[in-house]
This record gives sequence, structure tokens and C-alpha cells, in this order.
Amino acid sequence: MLLGPSLALSATLFTIGVVGVVIRRNAIVLFMCIELMLNAVNLTFVALSQYHGLSGQIMVFFVMTVAAAEAAVGLAIILAVFRHRQSVDLQNINLLRG
Amino acid sequence: MNIDLASAVGVTIGLLPEVVLTIFGLVVLLLVSWRHDGVGDLRLAGWVSLVGMLASLAALTWLWVWEARPMNGPNMIVLDDFRFAAAALILIAGIATVLLSLTYLEREGILAPEYFVLLVLATVGMLFLAGADDMMVLFLGLEVMSVAVYVLAGFQRGSAFSAEAALKYFLIGAFASAFLLYGIALVYGATGSTSLAVAGAAFNRGPLPLMGALGLAFVLIGFGFKVAAAPFHMWTPDVYDGAPTPVTGFMATGVKVAAFAALTRVLVGTFGAAGDTWHPIVAALAVFSMVIGNLVALAQPTIKRMLAYSSIAHAGYLLAALVTGSTLGVTAVLVYLLAYVLTSLAAFGLLAVLGREGERDVSLGSIAGLARRRPWVAAGLSACMLSLLGFPGTLGFIGKWMILLSLVGQGHFMIAVIVVLASLVSAGYYLPVIMSAYMRPEAADSSHSEIVVSRPVAGTLALAVLLIVVLGVWPTPAIETAMASAGSLYDGIVAGVHHALR
Repeated sequence: MLLGPSLALSATLFTIGVVGVVIRRNAIVLFMCIELMLNAVNLTFVALSQYHGLSGQIMVFFVMTVAAAEAAVGLAIILAVFRHRQSVDLQNINLLRG
Repeated sequence: MNIDLASAVGVTIGLLPEVVLTIFGLVVLLLVSWRHDGVGDLRLAGWVSLVGMLASLAALTWLWVWEARPMNGPNMIVLDDFRFAAAALILIAGIATVLLSLTYLEREGILAPEYFVLLVLATVGMLFLAGADDMMVLFLGLEVMSVAVYVLAGFQRGSAFSAEAALKYFLIGAFASAFLLYGIALVYGATGSTSLAVAGAAFNRGPLPLMGALGLAFVLIGFGFKVAAAPFHMWTPDVYDGAPTPVTGFMATGVKVAAFAALTRVLVGTFGAAGDTWHPIVAALAVFSMVIGNLVALAQPTIKRMLAYSSIAHAGYLLAALVTGSTLGVTAVLVYLLAYVLTSLAAFGLLAVLGREGERDVSLGSIAGLARRRPWVAAGLSACMLSLLGFPGTLGFIGKWMILLSLVGQGHFMIAVIVVLASLVSAGYYLPVIMSAYMRPEAADSSHSEIVVSRPVAGTLALAVLLIVVLGVWPTPAIETAMASAGSLYDGIVAGVHHALR
């Protein structure tokens, strides 16, 4: 039930996350946007699992675990950068130029 | 040897290389939490990791020789020669990285033995990624690999460059993972299963549904970031430049092999029936990567950045081989990956040797006169550059030859022409390295005098260069193995669809 609206909501959340990653410049905010994308996908999995059985919900548990591990490592990396640059703004983090 | 992957014993046997390596990873973790100081403990962790990787390689060889195949399906992991070949390449990259890192870490004063724990666990993730037959395993393998490599990229804690590389790799990597995950969710929605084989069987039944096509697009974006294909490449030069050089070599080879193995399986296996949809997309990615990688590499001031851009170009050649989706194309992917792994590891290893006060600054000027002072280092560097260029007589040439063969065989003449032209352009940045080493005089009499090549590094580099040349002259074993592995991939896909339909 409510498959269409759920998928539309998760697609909207995912898009908000992508737009945030593209336009924002603060490393912490970028990381929050990525988490939003992951949770949007979780919503998709849960919505679809009504029709396709449990494996979608099992996937959500794995995604949450992985997101927690990524958060631990990601925040540590952001801290390491902050120690060098006194800033987490990507505009100030430009020693390397693509 | 048929293995019942529904039983616990069967899964343990089928995953023996991964299980062995995981156990060694945990042993090293225990070891370093107990012995943590100084050079001796660093070396101990390194050698134990090396033993673990060799044990894993032995387990892998055992499965390969006894032709392990699944008894039934669908399963979480695959058992076919394609997985074994990819896993062997990954373990070769891991073993070489351990050997190249040992003295590098001592020289740079990075006395943290956790480095090897992360290296082993990243390798475990890669093995799972290359051996996944279910999108859950694929995603978990990808993340185990990525999270460990994010940390490795920032391992030189005193360097702002390294921290910045880690931050960029982490943000882009997590972003790419989210795309891949959304693709997985959509494929699951379109087919009702996370199994690659079952999803493939569902797509076989009719035209690709819209949800499946969207899933394909998102999966391609996710993998595009991971293999550093243009236009998803902008992170690559910065991250490769800032990371410690042995880690750069590991990222350029191990990550690429694992991601390409999984991408090949997803495209050929799950989306095999939808070839008309993804062939043009992959062709466009390949052409973009070849053109952008090669042209921008021409303008790079340092060798490390040049190699970073050239790795984008090599991702393009590999994608060009995938465009055909044929057995010959998959064979070409494997042969090219072998050439790329050996050459790239040796090239980054040599770069680590050449850099005394930071390899980020090694430029054409700073290797002038290398041949007169250090003839062996210069010869190895030349062999690597020629192999990356695809010069006849090196393994790189065999790889490019196989790619051209597969493209022409399927009538993709335009892409074949672009591959040849791109290789010609790449001579413009590979050959100056050799010219500088052999034809320009050294800056001072004392130039290159402080280059120290330790015994493990020298052995690894010599073996890699030797293999590049020997297999370049006599490629039959490599090509035959790759061909058998590619054939086994297709047999496995047919069997998987058969199991899924029952």
C-alpha cells in the first residue's frame, strides 16, 4: 500500500541529498546530505519489500550498519583535516587542484 | 568439484580465500593492539599480513585447480574461474603493496602497524566484491573495501595533502556508494530479488522495464566513480596525488580490478539481455575517459599526477573492452587488468623509490640523468612506461591488442580507432619520462645518490618488470587462462539463469 507515494518521497529525499552535495561547501553538511541519500534508499527498500518479501528489509539493516561505520571513519577524517586547516569548508581545502 | 553453497561447510569452502584472509586480518589486528611501537612491530605486522595473503592465494589456487562450481542456485557468491582470476589479481596487488610499503613506511616515519590491518581488510572487501552473486554481498564488499581505503589514503597524518586526499575520497566515495545503492534498490524493485542471477533471469523475459533502466543508470554512475571513468573522474588526480604512494598504487590496481570484476558481472550477467541499452552508455564513458585522461595527462607537471590521469585513460581502455560484452571482450578485460596491475604497481613502486623528500614533487627534471647513476631503476621505469603505452614486446601491448581484437570482431571500428589514437597521444607523456632519464644530464654529481632500494622492494619490482617483459613476448599462458575464465563466467551465467527459472 502507498507504494507510489513512498517511492516518490524517497526519490525526492535522494534528490535533495544530491543537490545538497553539489551546492554546499561545508564537509559536515555534505556528509549529512550523503546520509540523507542513504536513508532515502532505505525508504525505497522498505517500501518495495511489501511486494517483494523480506530481503529488502534485511538490506536496510546492512545499509544502516555500513552508514554507521562510514560515519565513524568520515568524522575522523574530517577531524584530521580540521587539525591541519582549522576549517571544514571545502573552499579552504585546496592544496590539491584537480 | 561441486560445492553445495546452501550448507555452512560448503559456504566456508567456497569462501576459503576470504575466510583465511579475514582470520589473518583479525590476527594482525590483535597483534598490533598488543605490540604497537617502533620499527620491529611494524615489520612483524607486515610480514604476518604477507603470510596471510599468501595463504589466501594458496586457498584460491586450490579452489581454482579443483574447478569448484556451485551445486545449485541461486547463491550469495559465485564459484567460477572469472572470480578466481580477479581474486588472484587482487591478491597480487595486495602482496605487492605489502612488500612495497614495508620500507616506505619506515622511511616516511609512519610507524603505525594498523596500516597492514587496513590493507588486509581492504583486500578482503575486494575479494567479496569480485565474488558477489548477490547485490547485498556486492554492496558489503564494496563498503568494506572503501572504508578501509578511505583511511589508508589519509594515513600520513602529518601531511595536509594526505588528509585532504582522504576527505575528498571519502566524500566522493560515499556519494558514489549512495548512487550504487539506489541502483540496487531499483533493480530489486524491478525484479523482486537482490540476486544477480535471479534479476538477470527476470530481465531476460522481456524488454527492460523503466525501473530496471533507471537502476542500470544509477549502478553505472556508482561504478563510474569507483573505477574513475570520465566524467566521474574529478576526484582521481587529487586523491592519487595526496595519498601515500604505495596506497596510490593499491587504489589504482586493487580497487580497479575488484570494481571492474563486479561491473563486468553485473553488466554481462544481470543486464546481459539489455545490451542495447548499456552498450552506447559504456562506449560513451570509454571514449570520454580515453580522451580526457590522455589529453590532461599531457599537461601535468609531476609524474604522480601524470600517472593519476593516465589511470583514468586506462579505465577508458578497459570500458572499451567491456562495450562488446562478448567472451573475447571479457578476455581482453582480464588480460588488460593483468598488464595494468603489474605495470601500475611497478610504476608507483618506482615512484616511491625515487621520491626522497616527498614523491609528489618527482618531475621530469628531477629524474634527469637517472640512467647513468641508477641504470636498473631507469630500466625498470622505462619498461613500465613502455608497457603503459602499449609498446610491442610488453604485456601492455598484448592487453591493447586483445581489446582491439574484441572491438573489431564485433564491428566497433570507431572505438577501435579512438583506442589507437588515444594510445598515440599517450606516447606524448610516457616517452618524455624515458627521454629525461636517458638523454638529459644530471643536475649535480650527487644527484640520485641517496636513492635506496631495499631488498623486498627490489625483488617485487624486478619480478613485476620481468613478468611484464616475459608475458609480453610469450603471452599464451595469460591469454589462455583469461579465455577459460571468461568462458567460465558465461557458463556460470547460463547455469544461474537455469537455476533461477526452476
